[in-house]
Amino acid sequence: MAENAILYDSSKCSACKGCQVQCKQWNMMPSSLGMNTSEFTGSYQSMPDLNGDTRLMIEFREEEKNNGIEWAFSRRSCFHCTDPACMAVCPVGAYSKLEDGTVKLDKDKCIGCKYCNGACPFEIPKYREKFGVSNKCTLCDDRTGMGREPACVQTCPAAALTYGPRDSMLTAGKARIAQLKTEGYGNAELYGETEMGGMHVLHVAKYGLEAHGLVRGAQTPPMVQLLDLIKPLTGLGIVAVAGALGISFLTGIGYKRDELAAEVSPAPDAEKEEVSS
Amino acid sequence: MAGLAPSFGRGAMTNHFCDFKNADVIMAIGSNNAENHPVTMAWVQEARAKGAKYVVVDPRFTRSAALADIYAPLRSGTDIAFFGGLMKYIMDKDLWQKEYVENYTNATYLVNPEYAFDDATGLFSSWDDATAAYSQDNWTYQVAEEKPWNSGVDPKTGKPAATSYVTAPGVPKFPLPSSKVAKKDPTMQDPTCVWQLMKAHYARYTPELVSSVTGCPQDKLLEVYEVFAASGAPEKSGTILYAMGQTQHTYGSQNVRAMAVLQMLLGNIGVAGGGINALRGEANVQGSTDMGTLANTWPSYLSTPVASKHPDLSTYLSLETPGSGYKTNAPKWVVSLLKEFYGPYATAENDYAFDMMPKLNKTNHTHIGVFESIQEDIVKGMMCWGQNPAVGGPNSSFEREMLGKLDWLLAVDLWETETAQFWKAPGIDPASIQTEVYMLPAAGHYEKQGSISNSGRWIQWRWKAIDPPGEAKDDLEIMHELYKKLKALYDADGGPNAEQLTKLHWPYENAEGLADITLVAQGMNGYTVADGKLVSNFTKLAADGSTACGVWIYSGYFNNNDAPNDATKQPTGSRLKDDPSGLGLYPKWAFAWPVNRRVVYNRASADVAGKPWNAEKMLVSWDGAKWVNNDVPDFAFKVADPKDPTITLSWIPPNNTAFLMQSDGSAHLYGLNSMKEGPFPEHYEPFESPTKNLMNGGQANPMLTFGKSASVRPSDPKKYPIVCTTYRLTEHWQTGGMTRNIPWLVEAMPHMFVEISEELAKEKGIANKDRVRVFNDRGDIEMYAIVTPRFKPFLCDGKTVHQVGMPWHWGYASGGSTGAIANDITPNVGDANTSIPEYKAFLVNVEKV
Repeated sequence: MAENAILYDSSKCSACKGCQVQCKQWNMMPSSLGMNTSEFTGSYQSMPDLNGDTRLMIEFREEEKNNGIEWAFSRRSCFHCTDPACMAVCPVGAYSKLEDGTVKLDKDKCIGCKYCNGACPFEIPKYREKFGVSNKCTLCDDRTGMGREPACVQTCPAAALTYGPRDSMLTAGKARIAQLKTEGYGNAELYGETEMGGMHVLHVAKYGLEAHGLVRGAQTPPMVQLLDLIKPLTGLGIVAVAGALGISFLTGIGYKRDELAAEVSPAPDAEKEEVSS
Repeated sequence: MAGLAPSFGRGAMTNHFCDFKNADVIMAIGSNNAENHPVTMAWVQEARAKGAKYVVVDPRFTRSAALADIYAPLRSGTDIAFFGGLMKYIMDKDLWQKEYVENYTNATYLVNPEYAFDDATGLFSSWDDATAAYSQDNWTYQVAEEKPWNSGVDPKTGKPAATSYVTAPGVPKFPLPSSKVAKKDPTMQDPTCVWQLMKAHYARYTPELVSSVTGCPQDKLLEVYEVFAASGAPEKSGTILYAMGQTQHTYGSQNVRAMAVLQMLLGNIGVAGGGINALRGEANVQGSTDMGTLANTWPSYLSTPVASKHPDLSTYLSLETPGSGYKTNAPKWVVSLLKEFYGPYATAENDYAFDMMPKLNKTNHTHIGVFESIQEDIVKGMMCWGQNPAVGGPNSSFEREMLGKLDWLLAVDLWETETAQFWKAPGIDPASIQTEVYMLPAAGHYEKQGSISNSGRWIQWRWKAIDPPGEAKDDLEIMHELYKKLKALYDADGGPNAEQLTKLHWPYENAEGLADITLVAQGMNGYTVADGKLVSNFTKLAADGSTACGVWIYSGYFNNNDAPNDATKQPTGSRLKDDPSGLGLYPKWAFAWPVNRRVVYNRASADVAGKPWNAEKMLVSWDGAKWVNNDVPDFAFKVADPKDPTITLSWIPPNNTAFLMQSDGSAHLYGLNSMKEGPFPEHYEPFESPTKNLMNGGQANPMLTFGKSASVRPSDPKKYPIVCTTYRLTEHWQTGGMTRNIPWLVEAMPHMFVEISEELAKEKGIANKDRVRVFNDRGDIEMYAIVTPRFKPFLCDGKTVHQVGMPWHWGYASGGSTGAIANDITPNVGDANTSIPEYKAFLVNVEKV
């Protein structure tokens, strides 16, 4: 089976959040039923970050430049990496890679240890309190397995999301970047071709990676690489691995998305937060 | 709509959504289409992929602006100045489409020499101080010839003239109107010709002055002008997307007129990828206006009779039927409508029950007027059917107060809206309210079947997916029960004007005793009275009482006599995706009124000889011997066999009549007597404005409505110097009745806010996420602040003018999210022609809480 990918084109996205809502609907993820319980983010962004009940969200970042406003929209969800750090650290084998590149989290196997939450360089998997498991995008393998598009792709009204063979998506993404450059968007970049061994969600970043909050040069954290080595050697049971490595992971990884971004981007976190959230 | 019909003959979007892909330039002005009509972006992006430019003009940098090739800011309420400047630019630089303007518009027509505009007062000629209105006496054409109505033989064909139908037995007798043919100057040099008057009128709209009025920097202004004016090349097309940002002003109809005039200059009407495209605010609002829900129209935009003007059918027909053009058929539509309303009771002898139909009087029956009428104790009870004025009405705290004066209120809705529980509103003491409130739960759109008409005039049948929950019923069922109950009561007890109801024709109940929407659809399509057979389309309607038709413009949408109760087998239920032209016309997907025409006025897509301006965008084409068409022609193009319309007896060669719904066959640059405030759109300031009118000596529109009502409490610009506007967000819909009850959507946009520029925030000491008050003499509301560079102060008349904006989706009743009601501070003043409220430009002040 050929590898497939989603191509997200931020230059066509109107940030309508149709994908965000459709993701919840198809996957039956709830929102609060309480009155006025959501936090005000100070922008059009719905919530500060993904959470246990939210696998996909649209992010808003705005900045005033000499030639006008750059209002950068981003689709924040799992990238389905070829070298998934989440899978590497999972002590119970709840993660698997499907032939088409989907990185799948089996909630029935997940023990809720949250290692993947910290190991992911993008902090995508989130802990789902009510069920005691981690949660993230499945790339709608329940749909793609039957020849349908992922729910988010199907709902996008402006074809900012497309889905198909990864090769074609890469070609389309590159062509789009070239087009954007001719239109005066000199910083436009394609994200996901090589990062983390190559991703199965590609981003056309109209204003460049940093403007869209994308981590330049993302890598599997060193601790995760180490774990990949020792896991087969330990010969210990699942629980023992969890027990022995748990503390070191939760405290030791310290490999946060924003910190990584801070290393490569001159904008300090605090300032960035203020603009984006 | 009120600006389109006077310009072209019909009050509807000229093109349709899929057609946007054919445009060379798309200008969204007064429309935030990416946010409020997200699906439109599919075709906007398709056009852009082919090199089209997408231009967004808006007071605020919106999600549409984020996707635009050019964004230009504009102070709310200054659109006519913007368009006037663009017209001057086009005329000065000779960028107008000459063959189009000379032949298809009234540019060459001569106007009464007494017509004038006085820029010192801002008034057109014929102003009468005593009545504070225009008599409009001298806004007319110079008449070359007056042709009487032809009730006899057409001299050209030797056969009975089309207008001779009036002599048939049963057709109401009425004084036959004559046709006044205007004097013309084909050279367009005569100082009284429309072209010269127009050039003179817009001479004041220089880039310097327009920039000073609108606050749009001159370089941006000229950048937009250059890009849009390029669509004046004959082979190019430019489209305008607009919405409530144009209409919700005291001169909203004139804003639309201004766009119409602009598009005529550029030859953009009737062509693929062109037009003036009203993006309607609700899924079926086009359908609602088609049905005559506005006070001043009957179904299909026939005029509601006015008691003092139309005492009987004869007078009505005489005044409402023009002496020439396709509307000479109006008596057929009127009589067929009356036959559907009153059935067998409607006869030639009783004026087809014309007397039973409600007439307008001096009272303004539009939204604002109804609430004034409550205050004046005229209106005692109200049915709010899918409407939530407690949140959506202008000056809504006043409207809530008025709801408390009613004897009874019926709310029909999916949720218990703010209107349904107005007596629980903050600031109202429930003990003081005597109004009896009834609530009827209604079915949602997947819980009932029927047709909806989208902005592009496509009448699409929608089937029921599930039964409504609990006691909720579909609207037709509620209406049917109400009808039966009222009829029984009037039959039993009588009462004033009981016959209006007891004689009503109501053949909408099926054999099972249930209201049947397909029976309503048949009545809308029209049928021959004798045998009940559906008519193929409105050309089969008669004025002699032999046909009935509720909505003549829809005729043809439900015409299959083989399956009259099966919508799937009717044109409106058709769902074939064939697109033989490749232009996105999709002729077999649903049915577009009129007669499945996808682009109206399509005659204008070809030159006078019938050659398309752009062969790749061919809608209609004369090949030298016959018409070859991709769309249903919108002009007299053939003589068909009366027995079998599929047989063409002869072809009608091309001429220059491109707008057959106008009595003179032309599009109107000069609007004659069609608009209350003048034949040319002229800039006035909003009712509440921070600056003086720089364009003329008048301040606000002299014809605006309700400006003197005590309830308005106008904002003094000294106290309230900040311009405010209201808008919608993608995440919510209208007053939020539905969307604030859906947790996913509440989470998507959970709070009410006001957007404030960084400059104003600094002046006021406001930080992002602060709680702030936005207030004027109508109200004082509290919400979060979003401080953003997407709003910028304007430089108008050399002074800084701040503008803020807020969504109007919030209120106090909801399952998941409550917030301040934006409309508590909007003014209940209205447009001169339609009385639509001026929600889009008013004055406030802002303070940190």
